[in-house]
Amino acid sequence: MDRESGKLEQIVSQFRSKILHVILDSRVPSLHQQQQESLSLSRVRKTDKWFNLVLGDRPPALENLNFSLRNLLDPMVIDIILVRHGSCSSSVDNLYVPSAAAAAAAAGPSIETVIERWVVQYDCPRVFATPSGADAAVSYKKIYKKCILLLRSLYTQMRLLPAYIIFRQLSSLSQTYNFDLVYKVSSFSHPFSREEEDGMKVYSFAPVEALPGCLCVSVTYHASLSDFNLEPLVSLPPKIITDYVGSPTTDPMRSFPSSERGAHATSFPLRGLRPPSSAPFQRPHSWSSGFHRGIPPTRTQSLAGSPPVYRTSPKPYDITSPPTDLYGNRIQNHRVSTLQQATAFDEYKLSPPFSPSASPSTPTYLSGANPLLTRHCSETAPVTIPLPLTGRSTRYLSPNSSDPSRHSLPPLSPRSSKHDASSQESPSGIRSYRKLEALRAGESPSGLSNLYSAPKVVRDSKDDSGRFSGLLSSSGSPRIGFSRSSSRLSFQDDMDDCEFSCPFDVDDVDVSDSSSQNTESKRASEFTAQSNLVGKKSQDAAVGILVHMLRTAPPLRQDSSCYSTHSLRTEYEGGVGIASGFFMPRKTADALEELNSYREMKDLLLSKSGMK
Amino acid sequence: MNCEVCQLKELEVEHFEIREVLRCILHTIVFHRALGLVRPKDVDLELFEITYVQCGDVELEKKIDEKIDQFISWVEKHPNKKSQICLSFYEVKSKQPSWFTNKTERLYWEQWYVNLNVTQHPKHLSSKLHHTKVVVDPGESATEERSSRRAMVEASLREVLFQIIKFVNEKKDHVPPISEGVIYFPYEITMPSSSDSAFGMDMIKRMLHSGHPTMLS
Repeated sequence: MDRESGKLEQIVSQFRSKILHVILDSRVPSLHQQQQESLSLSRVRKTDKWFNLVLGDRPPALENLNFSLRNLLDPMVIDIILVRHGSCSSSVDNLYVPSAAAAAAAAGPSIETVIERWVVQYDCPRVFATPSGADAAVSYKKIYKKCILLLRSLYTQMRLLPAYIIFRQLSSLSQTYNFDLVYKVSSFSHPFSREEEDGMKVYSFAPVEALPGCLCVSVTYHASLSDFNLEPLVSLPPKIITDYVGSPTTDPMRSFPSSERGAHATSFPLRGLRPPSSAPFQRPHSWSSGFHRGIPPTRTQSLAGSPPVYRTSPKPYDITSPPTDLYGNRIQNHRVSTLQQATAFDEYKLSPPFSPSASPSTPTYLSGANPLLTRHCSETAPVTIPLPLTGRSTRYLSPNSSDPSRHSLPPLSPRSSKHDASSQESPSGIRSYRKLEALRAGESPSGLSNLYSAPKVVRDSKDDSGRFSGLLSSSGSPRIGFSRSSSRLSFQDDMDDCEFSCPFDVDDVDVSDSSSQNTESKRASEFTAQSNLVGKKSQDAAVGILVHMLRTAPPLRQDSSCYSTHSLRTEYEGGVGIASGFFMPRKTADALEELNSYREMKDLLLSKSGMK
Repeated sequence: MNCEVCQLKELEVEHFEIREVLRCILHTIVFHRALGLVRPKDVDLELFEITYVQCGDVELEKKIDEKIDQFISWVEKHPNKKSQICLSFYEVKSKQPSWFTNKTERLYWEQWYVNLNVTQHPKHLSSKLHHTKVVVDPGESATEERSSRRAMVEASLREVLFQIIKFVNEKKDHVPPISEGVIYFPYEITMPSSSDSAFGMDMIKRMLHSGHPTMLS
């Protein structure tokens, strides 16, 4: 007898606990989160096996409640209370509220309303006769089965009542609200007032016969919660930025007015000299025009942990595509549950419409030069704009100025090294810059004259920025290269094969040394100024200088002393030390010897030019 | 044992809503008849603000989806027609083998009839546009019409779910005892075949097997 009654008591006790667990898990967000964590574990606990419904670990509060309500004959009343916090004077004050609790503290007095009242009771007469033997066993099995059925229908109904919507809103992490759900469990309840009862409905589950008594479960609930004006604290409307960097709607060649003419990324070395028309620009680049846009808002959402996955949505930032706002987050959670994606990183992957094919003009060497670029390349695939070292937060600025373009330029070091290499490659014997200019005076006017004027431009830019890159960033192309004539372009062709900065490096050197060279008198120490001359790389200029040298050089068999006096004499006599030796009267033998020497020099010269 | 029959309220749905509505209803019914150890899984409908519960069995979910696909195929071949899906639960009983019968037979103890009226286009839209005298932007009225129709379908679906809960609560005695290790009772989903007469014959056969059904109004 005691054993049988013990069984019944156990069923009733566990039934009450299970119902309490189901109700609180569907109404109290904090308890629901705990349950979610425990459900992730595959093992089934002993408490889960009761009534064949796996709900996860029972929260500690539940255990305490069970203990306090251990008298099974007392009803268990569970009130779900909606707490509405008082509104502040300005909603902007709540804009940066870190949590709902803080918002509640900052708000006015709260209003509490019981929106659901669950009553679980085991009605048992005082005097009863307990079944015995086989009848009892069958009876308990039936009772147990019916309890399972009741719990199934209760679990389903919990999700159909209006309070579930509030629960889901509070469970979402993306927003804070001016209301909260709390619960109260007791063995008695204050009856509702007439006003409270007006908007409420009652539903009673079919009692489960558990002889000698029966288990009764009923709920009194608000049929509609629209009168409560439940709104989120911060409701910033999602803003879709359409003119972000890389958007197909933006003009890919959009740039500053001053750089429009030369805003072609074809000047960028790694892209060679492709004409602009052949480069399918789909978005501007910082090195080309300084054009920047802010990061799409979904990045902020992904950082805030908003639910992911809008693969089927046509919008790039599908923040809420549900029927109503209330279920916006819920549907996101549904996608989390059905697609089993628990991280916000998936939205992040979707959000930017960049694709590797969208930007064929990516200067690939930049990503290798700067590890930061590599990291950011993974976020916005083809964009390899080097970012400031202050971190990702800078990406959320809208640097619509030319300043960031400075940071987006390649580092200076390759240029200087290239410059050194070029100077070493320059042919020996390059003369002073002034003489070079004189030599080419008769040649194409677009050559040295332009070259001479170039340093001035560079100097200005160098004074402003201290770097050659300043010039590069503002124009996106070397001004020297494309603002000159065709012969200058051919000059650039040879240089672009190796690096981009050579003209600027050379110009800079000119700036520093040209003034000193202009003051130099005509001396034999031309070799010392050779390395400082502009146009070292010009073969024409080098050849010209060499020819001049050869012309002024004495015959091979003459003494060096004669050479120096000869050169001096020619300079003093001729005023212009150019090939003055050709006009001296000589004998035929001397002429023949000189001719031979010139032949040898010619061969030497040709051999040297051939090696280059 | 009597076979309890539940005729669910008829739902007027559009073609693209069939899958979600059927999933919701069928899984809700099966969840109430999956009396073995289950780990409930909440699923939110995308078209409606409703959350239903699945019993979490992958195999079951797959079978239900297959049946829904078959039903959708049938609907595409028979547009604008009322249709019905029958979800039956049975027990397998061994029987004395004879010349004409098998060794085992199915004893149906519960049948659920899901009634759907699949419409291709919203039927009220064009009539409203013709009768109204005020020039209204057809785009706005179409959106309002769509949203009101969606709300109606959602309300009807909720009613159906409450109907299921009520039936489950009121009728418990006919449910067979729970077998050890079995999660849900054997079930069968039938739908109209290519010919309606064949579907009717299937129903008659089932009625003969199960005895006199009691109809739930």
